Amino acid sequence: MPERDQTTLRVLDTGLRPAAENMAFNRSLLECHQEGVSPHTLRFLQFEPCALVGFHQNVDQEINTEYCKEHGIAIQRRITGGGAIYFDATQLGWELYLDKRFLGTADMGQIAARICNAAAAGMRSLGVDAQFRPRNDIEVDGRKISGTGGAFDGESIMYQGTLLIEFDVEDMLRILRIPAEKLSNKAIESARDRVVNLATLLEEMPALDVVKDAIARAFAEEFGVRTEAADLLPEERRAFDAALAEIDTEEWVYQRNRPATDAPMFESIFKSDGGLMRVGAALDPERKRLKQLWITGDIFVKPARTIADLEAALRDTPQAEMEDRVRAFFAERDVEMLQLTADDFIAAIQSALAQAEVDSAAAQ
Amino acid sequence: MGAVRGCDIPEDLMYNVENNVWVRKESDGTATVGLTSYACSLAGTIVSYTPKKVGKTVKKDKSCTTVESGKWVGPAKTPVTGEVTETNDKVAANPGLINEDPYGEGWLIKLKPEDWDGEVGDLKTGSDALAAFEAKMEADGFGGC
Repeated sequence: MPERDQTTLRVLDTGLRPAAENMAFNRSLLECHQEGVSPHTLRFLQFEPCALVGFHQNVDQEINTEYCKEHGIAIQRRITGGGAIYFDATQLGWELYLDKRFLGTADMGQIAARICNAAAAGMRSLGVDAQFRPRNDIEVDGRKISGTGGAFDGESIMYQGTLLIEFDVEDMLRILRIPAEKLSNKAIESARDRVVNLATLLEEMPALDVVKDAIARAFAEEFGVRTEAADLLPEERRAFDAALAEIDTEEWVYQRNRPATDAPMFESIFKSDGGLMRVGAALDPERKRLKQLWITGDIFVKPARTIADLEAALRDTPQAEMEDRVRAFFAERDVEMLQLTADDFIAAIQSALAQAEVDSAAAQ
Repeated sequence: MGAVRGCDIPEDLMYNVENNVWVRKESDGTATVGLTSYACSLAGTIVSYTPKKVGKTVKKDKSCTTVESGKWVGPAKTPVTGEVTETNDKVAANPGLINEDPYGEGWLIKLKPEDWDGEVGDLKTGSDALAAFEAKMEADGFGGC
């Protein structure tokens, strides 16, 4: 195997593509990188409207497939982890193909943090105060501007993220399998408050090429390499064709499908001395895992972003670890709360989880 | 039990150190495959587990299970070729068991080895395995479990 050039990052721009092609690039480029064929690479990508589930997710459980069909929205499966997302041309995708030697660590958490910090620096150079929010987000003042995830094979890694440019979160909520009655205007507004677009933050939105340059420069600086725009290699093209033939199929998209179980979301209202807290919890009942939390209420917490950080820290948490993670979260932060304690958050979340148990007992 | 930089590495198991997996021949002729405690430490808490299906033949150094942790997805590669005879229901229900007990209840698959004697020659065991993991951790810049 020829020694890979450790001083250059190839920049590949594959433009606007259907989801299946973008997923096939993920598979084939990671494979080619692992075989030593591909150079270290930064790829920019954009999507025709699509719903993407995480590698381990069940399409029928996560996605409103009827709505997608009616609106010509493709459904695809990522090779990376995490939850279902909506992707369209109002977001820019970026992804890196590197190896552990280049990154100087094999610790997956550290790799994610380093890449996210660099991507955030690139966004900051455009004039927004983007920061890495553990474990996998980049945010501006507590509002998410980028979500990320990765895949690995042997020594090679592929790590990818979004950048919201002019994204409307309502489009995302519509493709997710959320009961209609939960899609109130208030719920949509509340979801909108949690994300932010680059175009909203900047007085004048720069050309997309300027955004790409800023991100490429930040990665080059972080890794101490130069960037070089280049095309696909013939081997990569062949691997892409083979991957597309496998991925652009119902078999790939609907693998591990099982019938959707009802009511995967639970809500509870919890009253404490510090105020009224409303907790929504999306669960993966089969794996006893908390997928996502939404915490609102008339509570005083400073800095205000603490709640969003807590939600991010608790994403994809085994239920048995929830309490420890909440305690660890508050232990390592300087948070000002009015008559509110970590125990109140734990109790509020537990009351939402108890709701799940009531429902499942009733179903049996 | 053996340990390297705080990670348990039982000396009676056989390891593919590069792929961070172990294998053990059982008395009924099957072999059990799992992730090392070092692999678990690098990955963080595992939240999803998808083994290859029972009856499928998995090839040496190819994926026998896909795992997910902190939004990372990747394969666990079997150290020997064989037909999958059993997957782990307890781990399917609670993938975090892989982290809690990687050499016990957190095993990934059991398989019927096709050519055990022919394939285990390049695997490491005992003090050789400990030395190889020390070298890998050094190369990976790993602080400790």
